[in-house]
Amino acid sequence: MRSDKIEKSRTVLGKTIAVLALLTMILAFLCGLGCTSDREQHGASGTTIVFKHGKIAGNPKPFRDLLDRFERENPGITVKDETLPASTDEQHQFYAINLDSKSNDFDVLSLDVIWVPEFARAGWLRDVTRVLAEGEQNAFFPGPVQAVTQDGRLFAVPWYIDAGLLYYRTDLLKKYNRSAPKTWQELVKTAQEITEKEPNLYGFIWQGKQYEGLVCNVLEFIWSDGGGVLENSRPVIDSPPNIEALQFMRDLIVKWHITPSLVLTAIEEPTRHIFGSGRALFMRNWPYAWSVFRSEDSAVRGKVGVAELPSFPGHVSAPALGGWQLGVNRFSLHPEEAEKLIRFLTSLSVQKTLALTVGYKPTRKALYKDPDLLREQPFVGSLYSIFMRARPRPVTPYYMMITQVLQPEFSAAVAGIKTPEAALGSAQRQVEQILGEKL
Amino acid sequence: MMERENGNRFVMPAVVLLSLVTIYPILSVLYLSLQRRLPIFDVSKFTGLDNYRFLLTDDRFWNALRNTVYFAATSVTLELLFGLVIALLLNRSFRLKGVVTALVLIPWAVPTVVSARMWEWMYNTDFGILNYLLGMKINWLGSPFWALNAAVFMDVWKTMPFVVILLLAGLKMIPRQIYQAARIDGAGAWSIFMKITLPLLMPVILVVLIFRTLDALRIFDAVYVLTGGGPANTTETLSIYAYKVLFQTLQFGYGSTLSVVVFLCTGSLSVLYMRLLRAEGSR
Repeated sequence: MRSDKIEKSRTVLGKTIAVLALLTMILAFLCGLGCTSDREQHGASGTTIVFKHGKIAGNPKPFRDLLDRFERENPGITVKDETLPASTDEQHQFYAINLDSKSNDFDVLSLDVIWVPEFARAGWLRDVTRVLAEGEQNAFFPGPVQAVTQDGRLFAVPWYIDAGLLYYRTDLLKKYNRSAPKTWQELVKTAQEITEKEPNLYGFIWQGKQYEGLVCNVLEFIWSDGGGVLENSRPVIDSPPNIEALQFMRDLIVKWHITPSLVLTAIEEPTRHIFGSGRALFMRNWPYAWSVFRSEDSAVRGKVGVAELPSFPGHVSAPALGGWQLGVNRFSLHPEEAEKLIRFLTSLSVQKTLALTVGYKPTRKALYKDPDLLREQPFVGSLYSIFMRARPRPVTPYYMMITQVLQPEFSAAVAGIKTPEAALGSAQRQVEQILGEKL
Repeated sequence: MMERENGNRFVMPAVVLLSLVTIYPILSVLYLSLQRRLPIFDVSKFTGLDNYRFLLTDDRFWNALRNTVYFAATSVTLELLFGLVIALLLNRSFRLKGVVTALVLIPWAVPTVVSARMWEWMYNTDFGILNYLLGMKINWLGSPFWALNAAVFMDVWKTMPFVVILLLAGLKMIPRQIYQAARIDGAGAWSIFMKITLPLLMPVILVVLIFRTLDALRIFDAVYVLTGGGPANTTETLSIYAYKVLFQTLQFGYGSTLSVVVFLCTGSLSVLYMRLLRAEGSR
């Protein structure tokens, strides 16, 4: 009786394993089918260059069409585009590991604005100054150009741009006869007045989780109070304006109660959700949110305005610069062709197509007066002055080390674990140590 | 003699393969941990124990170590306690037992990153289900007190099924006759549990402890997705710190030192457990 049972359970187990194995094989086969790219059979002769980039927003078709156009215009060159993992950290990790081992598996790479000095210093990027004609740099916004320049040489070409914006509810401001705030103090006042009368409405939301986005948020307050992180390559992190600005951010939560403490765990998307469901008056976010609010099923459709971020009195608004650049792998076997692709992708006409199809904001200033683009997306015109002011985070090869110090210290200050003085003092000492070390 | 030589010959392929895939990487990380290696600045030099000396003065390391030990101790204890209770319940026969067992197992089947994202939403102050059910406004992941405990709780939810399965298998192996004999001798439920179930289950419990403690000491993905180490590094574990140093700031030498420390922690603990297990087996 008992051995019967064991026998039975054994066959059941055996069958289960067999079925699982079969399923795995089928899955592997299907994967194999799906992953064999049809690009492998493309172009028998000529060179193939590999272009690594993050996920293209929305529909990937228009982007591939552009690459096909490049192939037609440049016979003999085939472009293989390969998408990296969505997370920026993972992309950085991928590049670092591969470039450190001098990989030439890819030729053109897309770079977050904060990586360029680091990669350039490591000798991983080719000097691409000559991709742009003499004086052509002036056609681009100054922020991104500053971020890709080292010792007067260009190590990448700005591809598309991002910057922090202030989103506000036009309907509510109108109802209470207010306008978009110019100073942070005005923002506090307006938010307090309106949230008092509107139940279930947050005054001002931003991104306060311990991550790179928090650094952007804090720097926008610090810069718009005349502060900064480095001055002539020396850390000035514990300066009075920095302390004042960081204290102000903490006060938004605990003193004026216009920012809910949930921002301490928020990255971009959760704040976009809250604002998008009509539950916040002001929000700091990147331009991408705009097109989401414009969609048919958006609860705030037609009720959203965008303005420059406020500043402290007597200072100017200072949105943090984001966006992506294109560089050439120093170990690439086809640098000429790679440069051609970069010239193509950053050209006026391609940037225009990308703006119209996937919403990438051009790095070339001229497009902000382009009639076609303005007709399709009138909003883009209002971004011009904001992008002109966009400020890169400290342009130094040490940036990734510095931000690893800033993230937890800024987080400690906004979460109230340390006072701003203590947090900034500790950050100052740590950054001094990083920069002071003899290498 | 002959037989032994043959035996050696037969295990050779396994030894070679194992050294290739485990021993070589371990040795190269050990070697890296003795170097100052910053590819960005083209620095690569042997510095002996400098990295380990720096470790002693690195507050962030001690903070990460504290978090890791706290995380491992609390999560493993809770998993074992809850797991034991559930395993005992499932060991009885009742209707719908199959359904209940399947339900208990679900969390284990969900990929870690998915469950971490799920919990991130459930912990959300504003529209998280947890605060909704409790009728409170607790900032689970944003407050230094709750964040690490929230991560522990998620881990307990996620890995308890694993503990339940192992313990259930252990319970099934205890012969029914022993229980019958005990009952005839007039033993109560509590003394049966203390004198029969628990001692006979000990080897399985030790195995559970080995697996779970080693996993918990290396915890990375779940916490990284849930909090990224914040707020203010209050949930930063050793593995997260090592990851940031290695792959975000690209300090390959010091990052390897941190990895070696993780390895030493888990390694020494597994040796300890193995000893206990052997003592248990020879009793």
